[in-house]
Amino acid sequence: METTLLLQGGLNGVMLGLNYGLIALGLSLIFGIMGIVNFAHGEMYMLGGYVAYYLVGRFRINFLATMIAGVAIVGLLGALIEKILFRPLTTRPKEALTSLIAAVGLAWVLQMLAVICFGELDRNVPSAFKGIIHMGGVVITKERLAAIIIALVLVSVLTLFLMKTRIGMAIRAVAQDKEAAALQGIQVSRINSLAFGIGCALAGAAGVLMAPIFCVSPFLGGEVILKAFLVVILGGMGSIPGAMLGGLVLGFIESFGSLFFTVPTVNAITFVLIIIILIVRPQGLLGHE
Amino acid sequence: MNKRWIVVWIGYGVLLGLLLTIPLFTDEAYVFHILCLIGINIIFACSLNTILNIGELNLAHAAFMGIGAYASTLLVMRFSFSFWLAMPLAMIAAAIISLAIGFLTLRFKGAYFLLFTFLFAELVRILLSNFWIGLFGGIPGLTNIPRPSIQIPWLFHMEFNSNKDFYYLILVMVVITVFVMRRMDQSRLGMVFRAISQSETLTESIGISSMKFKILGCAIGCLFAGLAGSLYAHFVRIITPADFSIHAVLTPIAYVVVGGMGSVFGPVIGTSFLMILSHFFLREFGLYELLLYGVIIVLIIRFMPEGLISLPRVIAPWFGKLSTRERE
Repeated sequence: METTLLLQGGLNGVMLGLNYGLIALGLSLIFGIMGIVNFAHGEMYMLGGYVAYYLVGRFRINFLATMIAGVAIVGLLGALIEKILFRPLTTRPKEALTSLIAAVGLAWVLQMLAVICFGELDRNVPSAFKGIIHMGGVVITKERLAAIIIALVLVSVLTLFLMKTRIGMAIRAVAQDKEAAALQGIQVSRINSLAFGIGCALAGAAGVLMAPIFCVSPFLGGEVILKAFLVVILGGMGSIPGAMLGGLVLGFIESFGSLFFTVPTVNAITFVLIIIILIVRPQGLLGHE
Repeated sequence: MNKRWIVVWIGYGVLLGLLLTIPLFTDEAYVFHILCLIGINIIFACSLNTILNIGELNLAHAAFMGIGAYASTLLVMRFSFSFWLAMPLAMIAAAIISLAIGFLTLRFKGAYFLLFTFLFAELVRILLSNFWIGLFGGIPGLTNIPRPSIQIPWLFHMEFNSNKDFYYLILVMVVITVFVMRRMDQSRLGMVFRAISQSETLTESIGISSMKFKILGCAIGCLFAGLAGSLYAHFVRIITPADFSIHAVLTPIAYVVVGGMGSVFGPVIGTSFLMILSHFFLREFGLYELLLYGVIIVLIIRFMPEGLISLPRVIAPWFGKLSTRERE
């Protein structure tokens, strides 16, 4: 009985952790490349959730097609936002702060637009994968298993893209040194747009994945951005494996912690733990100096 | 130069005169309620600006305001201190805690301070909401906080019970804060802060310990955040942990950025502009209030990145063009 409980907690932790990792990955990518703390990142997750609500819930479209649509819609929106709002800010003094406030303003605008367009009620999204699987006493719903698998696939695809393709190499080059990258003939502004789009798309993908498991509401963003922030701090700014490891650590802490303690205690323990990690290792678990 | 100096002081005098005579024009409690909140937010925005001046963003600034508010409230309600003693003690409490945080975090470069203060802000909120509920009151917070009063036996007695009376108290505190900020900005200390925010390495190369001055700047900022918190607690008379969460610091950051970072009057102008806008004009738009508010902030940042304080400089060329055209 005890072991099944632990396994169950572990599986839930993996699912939560992978999705925190997905969201944080986007946040970390955007910060690593453009130096922007994207406070509107949670709203991208929320928009992904609404894509799922309308396509799966209303129009009964296949979940994988919805996934692709969600990634495309939120990704394009992100690239557009970068072009219209953030790019003009990057050449100005104190750009980090101005872009932070621009992102906060954007988050409010998106949130209120969502309230006006979609209504402020919580929406349930029907599950695309029905049924449960028994694995030696451990019970997992198919949708949670699907969430785990799809998240793993997305992270692997992104890693391959960043490591193996020329564009991926260009993105990493810009993250390392903008000027040197520009000298090599890389168009930094295009890479910025692309990276911002990809970052937002990841949050959107997580939104689509989580929509059937949790509810969708216009106010999701505020909670999610805090979690993503924690994960990025824990894993290290700008590190892909760091974001995933950070996500998993947070997922496990939340999932196991809630088996033994009350939620506030878990939260307090999490924060104290992360503060201690940060004091001992300021660059995060897998971050570079 | 001397004449300009006189003009500026006359300007201050007229402004102060106008603010002092507002009670002659209106009696509505709501107006004074908003004016008091604007004053408290001006103090808070100025203190945030002090920390922005050393090139750091404190995401836990609202938490320091909360520390001031809770310290002041607990001293008055649980230990029956006088407000006039509790207020400075609350300021000192916020500053001392910020010293500890500064020592831990300002050694490192980059976004480290920002991230650490983010964690600290959430930790404070969680601790105040869920632990030692007997003392801190949990999520509902503390209520029925008394308004301050001045009592000099046989001579003078004043209670700040109405919003109108409290307005004078806040006005005095705002004037003191802005005065201190202005003096600091013009002093050697202000110069060191500006130098650090421009280039830390260069500042250290001429023998100034940037870490020491950054910690000092952070503590001064948090001192005034404590003041804002204490005033807020005794004005609104209810404090809850959610009032001082991470989200509570985002709006004041917008005030500072919209007004103009780095200058003394930027935060004052930004706070007054945005708060008057949202409380007196956008109210009628209901659901669209926050939307318009967000759009206005984004537009100002997009097209006037140095803030409202740069408005004369932005507009001046237009008038220049007009006058040259007339001459032609």
